[in-house]
Amino acid sequence: MVLVLAIGDLHIPHRAPDLPPKFKSMLVPGKIQHIICTGNLCIKIGYNVSLVFPFSQVPQTASKVILLHGFYDQEVHDYFKTLCPDLHITRGEYDEDSRYPENKTLTIGQFKLGICHGHQVIPWGDLDSLAMVQRQLDVDILVTGHTHQFKAYKHEGGVVINPGSATGAYSSFTYDVNPSFVLMDIDGLRVVVYVYELIDGEVKVDKIDFKKTATASAH
Amino acid sequence: FASLRSVRWRISLGILPSSSSVDDLRRVTADSRRRYAGLRRWLLVDPHVPKDGRSKSPDLVMDNPLSQNPDSTWGRFFRNAELEKMVDHDLSRLYPEHGSYFQTPGCQGMLRRILLLWCLRHPEYGYRQGMHELLAPLLYVLHVDVERLSEVRKLHEHHFIDKFDGLSFEENDVTYNFDFKKFLDSMEDEIGSQGNSKKARSLDELDPEIQTIVLLSDAYGAEGELGIVLSEKFTEHDAYCMFEALMSGAHGSVAMADFFSPIPAAESQSGLPPVIEASAALYHLLSIVDSSLHSHLVELGVEPQYFALRWLRVLFGREFSLQDLLVVWDEIFTADNSPLEKDSGNDENSSLKMFNSCRGALITAMAVSMILYVRSSLLATENATTCLQRLLNFPENINLKKLIAKAKPLQILALDSKISPLSSIFDGSYNRSKSAVSGYNLSSHPVSPKTPLSLVPDSYWEEKWRVLHKAEELKQDSLDKLSPSGKKRWSEKVKLVLSRTESDPSPARAEKYKKGHKSSVRRSLLDDLTRQLGLEEEDTEKGGCSDASNLEDHSTEAQVEGQQNDTNIGSIYRAEERCECGSGTFVSEENSSIFSDPLSSGSGTNDHENDTEKSSIASNLSSDENDDHHQSNPEDSPLPVSSPPPEGVPLNSPHENESSGKLVSAMKERRHLSGRFQWLLRFGRNNVSQEASDKGGGTNETPKSLNRDSKSNTADSSIAGASRNSSLASQRDVDQNVMGTLKNLGQSMLEHIQCVFGLHVKKAVYNLIYSLVKICRWVSSLPFHITLVFILEVLGLSASWKVLESVFQQDRVQVGSVDNLGKNNLVGKGQVTAMTALKELRKISNLLSEMDRRPAFDGDGWLRASDGMVELSEVEDVCSLIR
Repeated sequence: MVLVLAIGDLHIPHRAPDLPPKFKSMLVPGKIQHIICTGNLCIKIGYNVSLVFPFSQVPQTASKVILLHGFYDQEVHDYFKTLCPDLHITRGEYDEDSRYPENKTLTIGQFKLGICHGHQVIPWGDLDSLAMVQRQLDVDILVTGHTHQFKAYKHEGGVVINPGSATGAYSSFTYDVNPSFVLMDIDGLRVVVYVYELIDGEVKVDKIDFKKTATASAH
Repeated sequence: FASLRSVRWRISLGILPSSSSVDDLRRVTADSRRRYAGLRRWLLVDPHVPKDGRSKSPDLVMDNPLSQNPDSTWGRFFRNAELEKMVDHDLSRLYPEHGSYFQTPGCQGMLRRILLLWCLRHPEYGYRQGMHELLAPLLYVLHVDVERLSEVRKLHEHHFIDKFDGLSFEENDVTYNFDFKKFLDSMEDEIGSQGNSKKARSLDELDPEIQTIVLLSDAYGAEGELGIVLSEKFTEHDAYCMFEALMSGAHGSVAMADFFSPIPAAESQSGLPPVIEASAALYHLLSIVDSSLHSHLVELGVEPQYFALRWLRVLFGREFSLQDLLVVWDEIFTADNSPLEKDSGNDENSSLKMFNSCRGALITAMAVSMILYVRSSLLATENATTCLQRLLNFPENINLKKLIAKAKPLQILALDSKISPLSSIFDGSYNRSKSAVSGYNLSSHPVSPKTPLSLVPDSYWEEKWRVLHKAEELKQDSLDKLSPSGKKRWSEKVKLVLSRTESDPSPARAEKYKKGHKSSVRRSLLDDLTRQLGLEEEDTEKGGCSDASNLEDHSTEAQVEGQQNDTNIGSIYRAEERCECGSGTFVSEENSSIFSDPLSSGSGTNDHENDTEKSSIASNLSSDENDDHHQSNPEDSPLPVSSPPPEGVPLNSPHENESSGKLVSAMKERRHLSGRFQWLLRFGRNNVSQEASDKGGGTNETPKSLNRDSKSNTADSSIAGASRNSSLASQRDVDQNVMGTLKNLGQSMLEHIQCVFGLHVKKAVYNLIYSLVKICRWVSSLPFHITLVFILEVLGLSASWKVLESVFQQDRVQVGSVDNLGKNNLVGKGQVTAMTALKELRKISNLLSEMDRRPAFDGDGWLRASDGMVELSEVEDVCSLIR
């Protein structure tokens, strides 16, 4: 039994100050084995100085900037790390950390998971396009973001999940966004997707069962 | 079921009824298993398996993996997981040497589930390290028995196939396809009828010869049968039941779970956690059995819980190998755990809760006997760390039988100490001695004990002396009459001594012996006392003189007749034993090494009432007796010696000054002591009878040397002082530290001599001897060579012999006025006094020689003995110089 947290589009601090306190209180260390983050953590303030200047040329005054950069850049990332050391992040269009890849695949139990932020997939949030990515990555579960709307499709023996925005940050589609994230309970050939959504200050939980078929496991 | 340990354990743990038909056994077994299965179903949560009647939508808010609700399925699941992790930490390290069984996934799973269930069932305790080690042997025992049965089954396969094939076949179909949990419910009705019928058939048809095997084969009546007493399938269930019973104590007084609880038990008065209480009980028992070791440990600051925590929590599981442990547990479980009825009048100290049941007492006794097992090495330790190291690294290849055999009488003792009305005295003295010990400063004590004046032990010694004196008189009067009994007892004593030399107390015999004599001895003691008092009042003069002459006569006689020596000594011993018996009022005391603090105080109080007046004779004699007693004590048990506090206390402060003065006179006597060493060397130390004759010889020597002493002591002593100092110097390198202490000691004694003038010689001698005894007792806890060094140091003080002489001179003048004690007239004969003192001192030398002998059964003793040899020869040289 493995619990996988799928979360993304936080846009801190540009569009939201922080995760909702209710979410924060629920996310406690020790329960979650993996975290999948689709990107747009957006924890960056200022420039990544080390990229702008080679280290030897960093002006004396820049030392403070570097510190600031280090501090902010690590904030959400570190927060996730406290929840669970196994953290997988892809890069959103606002993420300036070039360490994050565009997409990523990993295998948990008998499931293969793919992560992608989704701004590259046009039209944004389109199931067919996403299914294409799913086939490209050859994954059972594809986790994307960018639309800030929770979506979960069962498609072609796999699942396409969009956990939405964990902070409820506005998106290019809408200002009316409910904060949400997804927790996947992967157990053998079975995935139970728990959807946590904050509606009017109350956490609503939904559950979606998904069973991988024998053929899916074969390929 | 004798051959099946697991069944035995289950019976003694109260899971199975002890005496009932096989049917009942099976029924009870099935019931217990059903309980466990139900518990497992209830407590072990799997969030993925939906529970019956769980509707999806309302539960989801509560029942999701991130739920904060502790009662949610997931909440429980995570809690269990946490617990499981903790348990796994320990389980993965469980018995690595038996990894082939304990480290298998199946076994680990069972262990984990059982522990988890128990912890969930008893949230007040939770999981604590060590629980798994209590459980593992239980599981192992079940496993071993199941294996054995399967072997038996293979051996008699035809029986099984013939009898049971058809029946079990049907059932197998049913059971194997079913989930066990579900199956359980449906099985309940089946068990009784089917199992029983099968058994009946097997019992009828099998040969009576292999009746036992039938009983075993009963377990294989049908696979999956819930009532099978021993079944591999239900190992987990059975193990849980055993574990549960062990932890909860099954309504008994000893519940292992208590040892894991940090909270004091509800009924506890001390407010201490139960395990600390149990540890205290352990020390209590130790203090009764071996006060010297106890005080040694207390002195070092080794609290019992430092090691007892581990011993008790896992029931010695860490101290013994698994196979040995099973034997130990056999004993422990066999002991009845049901609480004994409490004494209504006696509000027991809560530390005695351990003694509330046989099992508790046995556990305590076991621990004590383990301590006693490493006794010698413990006594050799000089700080708490090494001491604990010895205790916590218990020797591996031990004689388990001996250990258990030793524990048995200790258990009885523990129980008796609980039951006997004397336990209150016990407790009192225990506390007293404890406090005395804690306040007791090793180095300063012999010189000037700062402890408050207490007359009780004083009178105790006096009484002892009186008895001895009486014995001597008796011997004089009616040698023939006494000799047989004296001899008899003497031989008995020797026997006892010998048996003890092998480090095992022979409690049964000793106890019987003492029990038999107790009452009469007590009475006679009182008689003695009164008679003695009357005697003294009437003819103080005569008594004193005759005393001296007695001694002389005695010694000359001894010279003439070798046999009589035996008698003398026998009578002395007899008297001494009487003392022991009389003062050792508790019956339970089986070892004379027990003869220690509580005892002395007990008899002391007893005596105190009777004694209003003390004669100086008595005091002198008492010191002699004192001496004697100590002499014998080392024989009885290697080290009762280091328990000075109660005896140390009595020394009155005014006497202290004198005592040092007397020490000087003691130096004179030490010469004889060295002579004694010579003797001893010659005669060898292992033969008791020889030793006896040796003593006789020593006695012979006394008057002669005494005369010599009194005439030409000045010259002698100066020579002696010089030579001894030199030899002392040669030994300096032996132990610089101790030496330093001793030197200081002697120095301060010398200083005290200045105060001696004007004080009564009698008293002085008495106190001198007293302090010497104390010193010897104290010293005897040190290695032998150091003892010798110390003596030499004291002898070195003989340079101040003149001081002593002047004391004698002054005494003659002053005695008449100062002394209001009985022996005025005798004082004029200072020599006689000195003679008495000499005799005492010779006995001290005996004690020392005993100490030399002691290493023979001490752990690392031979080395020490050889050290002693070297020194002895040096002493010999010195002696020859003097002569």
